[in-house]
Amino acid sequence: MAKIVVDPLTRIEGHLRIEVEVENNKVSDAHVIGTMYRGIEPMLRGRDPRDATYVTERVCGVCAGAHGWASSLALDAAFGAKVPAGGRIIRNLIIGAMWLHDHVLHFYHLSALDYIDIMAIAQYQGKDAGLLAVKDKVLKLVAAGDTAPLTPRYKPDEFSVNDPELVTMSVAHYLKALEMQAKAKKMSALFAGKQPHQSSIIVGGVTMLPTIETVEQYRSLLLEQIDFIEKVYLTDVLTFGTGPLLPLAQAGIGGGSPNYLSYGGYARDDEGKDLFLKAGILMDGDLNKVLPISEAKITEDVQYSWYKASANGKTPYTEDTIPDLDKKDAYTFVKAPRYDGKPMEVGPLARMLVMKPKGLMDILTKYNIKPGAVARHAARAYETLLLSKELLNWCDALEKEMGLKNFRIHDTEHWDAPATGQGAGMTEAARGSLGHFIKIEDHKIANYQMVVPTTWNFSPRDDQGIRGPVEQALIGVPVPDPDNPVNVVRVVRSLDPCLACAIHLIDPVTNDIKKYQIGW
Amino acid sequence: MGNLNLLNAKGVSRRDFMKLIGATIAALGLPELFVPQAANAMEQALEKPPVIWLEGMDCTGCTESTIASLNPSAAELILDMISLRYHETIMAGSGNKSEEAYQEALKDNFILVVEGSVPSKEDRYCMVGGKPFRKTLIEAAQKARVIIAVGSCASEGGGIPGACATGAVGVSEILKAEGISTPLINLPCCPVKPTTLMGTILYYLTYQKVPPLDQQNRPLAFYGTLLHDNCPRRGHFENGEYLTDWNDPLQKEYCLILKGCKGPKTYTDCAQVWWNDNTNFCINAGSPCSGCSEKNFYQEFSPLYSKQENFKLPGIGQVNADTVGKTVGGAAAVGIGVHLIATAASGRLKKQGHKEDM
Repeated sequence: MAKIVVDPLTRIEGHLRIEVEVENNKVSDAHVIGTMYRGIEPMLRGRDPRDATYVTERVCGVCAGAHGWASSLALDAAFGAKVPAGGRIIRNLIIGAMWLHDHVLHFYHLSALDYIDIMAIAQYQGKDAGLLAVKDKVLKLVAAGDTAPLTPRYKPDEFSVNDPELVTMSVAHYLKALEMQAKAKKMSALFAGKQPHQSSIIVGGVTMLPTIETVEQYRSLLLEQIDFIEKVYLTDVLTFGTGPLLPLAQAGIGGGSPNYLSYGGYARDDEGKDLFLKAGILMDGDLNKVLPISEAKITEDVQYSWYKASANGKTPYTEDTIPDLDKKDAYTFVKAPRYDGKPMEVGPLARMLVMKPKGLMDILTKYNIKPGAVARHAARAYETLLLSKELLNWCDALEKEMGLKNFRIHDTEHWDAPATGQGAGMTEAARGSLGHFIKIEDHKIANYQMVVPTTWNFSPRDDQGIRGPVEQALIGVPVPDPDNPVNVVRVVRSLDPCLACAIHLIDPVTNDIKKYQIGW
Repeated sequence: MGNLNLLNAKGVSRRDFMKLIGATIAALGLPELFVPQAANAMEQALEKPPVIWLEGMDCTGCTESTIASLNPSAAELILDMISLRYHETIMAGSGNKSEEAYQEALKDNFILVVEGSVPSKEDRYCMVGGKPFRKTLIEAAQKARVIIAVGSCASEGGGIPGACATGAVGVSEILKAEGISTPLINLPCCPVKPTTLMGTILYYLTYQKVPPLDQQNRPLAFYGTLLHDNCPRRGHFENGEYLTDWNDPLQKEYCLILKGCKGPKTYTDCAQVWWNDNTNFCINAGSPCSGCSEKNFYQEFSPLYSKQENFKLPGIGQVNADTVGKTVGGAAAVGIGVHLIATAASGRLKKQGHKEDM
């Protein structure tokens, strides 16, 4: 038995350490370890509640906007603010553009290098001027003996794509995608002030009163994104997934948890009932039965986390959390959230399995692709396409609203913090379900907490000793060469970890939070 | 030509190189005259400088901001301008492969970029590669030729984490504690502005020295002017026109002081050089400046959305709401100092319909 440690696991957000044990060339046990803690929520106590949006926005610069969004939803509920249609749609446009950036960046810049043998470029014999320029560029870097940051790397393996044409095209698209993710941020910034770390989304709505010119500028950039998503991103994912990576896809490498959760998000009406991304639960591998979410079934365990065991209970509203760095058996700063006692996978695959869009399901069925690393990339790409088309509808909807006499973007009546109040904002971030919870006393934050996507996916064992979703996903992953655990990092990265989000101190909330707003 | 050949050998054609220099200089708003000088100096230096980019207690926002640059592009930055030897979020290698890259780069004459703050109370709050981040930072800082702390977290005071219980500090505090004398440049802002970072690197490569800095080690070129003095809404400030309702088209361009704007205390070029390819910035989006380029900004400026009572205006000293109130009467309780007094005295407030019961 060999023990393999990957630390730092790079090309993710935050600091992650993975320890796996390998027997007979396969992973037999796994520990995922969050190694950083900032303690942002306790610091919020006693502050003006409106600060929470600004501060929690900065929990993560990759999920940029998502925390500000969830925080505003929680504050909207606590303040009793009714976000006008204009504010709701602009929030959707700000966040939606960031997802286009996020998913594309994840595939090309965080993941793709695990699947291609980049040095195959040298063998490219084609005539395409663009690809020849890419070949020329890389060969010059090689000749100069300076191929950072593309090397050093794990050695290519049996699943690595080494077709010179495909590899050269992938590198060209890596460079093109760098431009597209920057342009997506620019789109978002049109309404958001800047990205990452937007300033526009606040309690009650947004601050940027748009002009038609701004909407049209957004639309024009969006059309360029849609073109790229259809012709390049989705095409690449399908070319890889149904081509060289089909064996990985059909074997369901990195499948893991058979349970999926989506809070849903992006409201299309003022009541928050019509969500673009649907809410639902799938349990025990039964993909046909979408169950409603019962928030009361969410609990958190800490036996294996560097926190003291709570005397007050296990729901996110009642638990205590006090750090204990010397605790026996504990191995991570991440807690272990469970739904009905079970680990849940969140993220694009969970959302798409809940929604079952026909185009994606047809592909998965036709090629017999099982839930796993490759399916996650496919779900993420397909979701990007659906979202990009929906953003066009929201541009139309916004322009229609702007034509109304009483066009509004903000609930000014509810700008000042109430004496007391509480609220939850439950929505989706690019990498999965995200919830913010606030309690206000004496016009100040009495308590604040976040339950974030990576806490679900990268949770440690729970009190029953049951592994978290990624720990499960790693079991059985082939590692023929212990010095080259490339399949391990493929599986981990397919879940798009964001450790800065996952690792934070949650303080006790003594009362139940009864108000929710989902997705708006 | 010798230089050019060497440049070529680094994987950059002369045309690409000149384009990059030109674009960077245009993006920074520097005169074109600077182009040949910068290009020459960089050719003389014959280098794509090795860069080690360390992330501590960060959110990766500064990395995301840096690669949000469109002109020059992120690809040009990463592949042409610098040799990015170690960067957790971007590099191909993981685990021992990334450690190998780090150790190799340490042997070179590298520039150290630091993103994120450092826990001072407990090393185990930030461990990377099985080692305390603080120790890695000390090791790299001792060997670097220059250190660039990007973003508010790595700069003095530690930004928002500095307000947290982990005792988070910026790079300067660690250098001080360890007696490390490597030159330090702070580039605060949450996140770092890409033009600021690229401009600083370009300056350093051109002149082979640290640019002129202020007391907080910020380059004067980017942090030398008060936001308030360059604010596109300054005219409305002078006129006593303050935004109170984001829905009102008439107020769209009004001054954001009542919404908590910290522009009068904040040194940044945000008013001149906008974000995301010059697309927008907080104030243009109707959002009050949070003062994120200032030391300890969150500690000093919270609550962020409330009007600041005391604004220190250059050369005037402390003026607070009460003083102003006594001077001009009720004046809508706008505590913004001598400008307001002048405005009220000139009778312009009345014109704007503000309550005057003096």
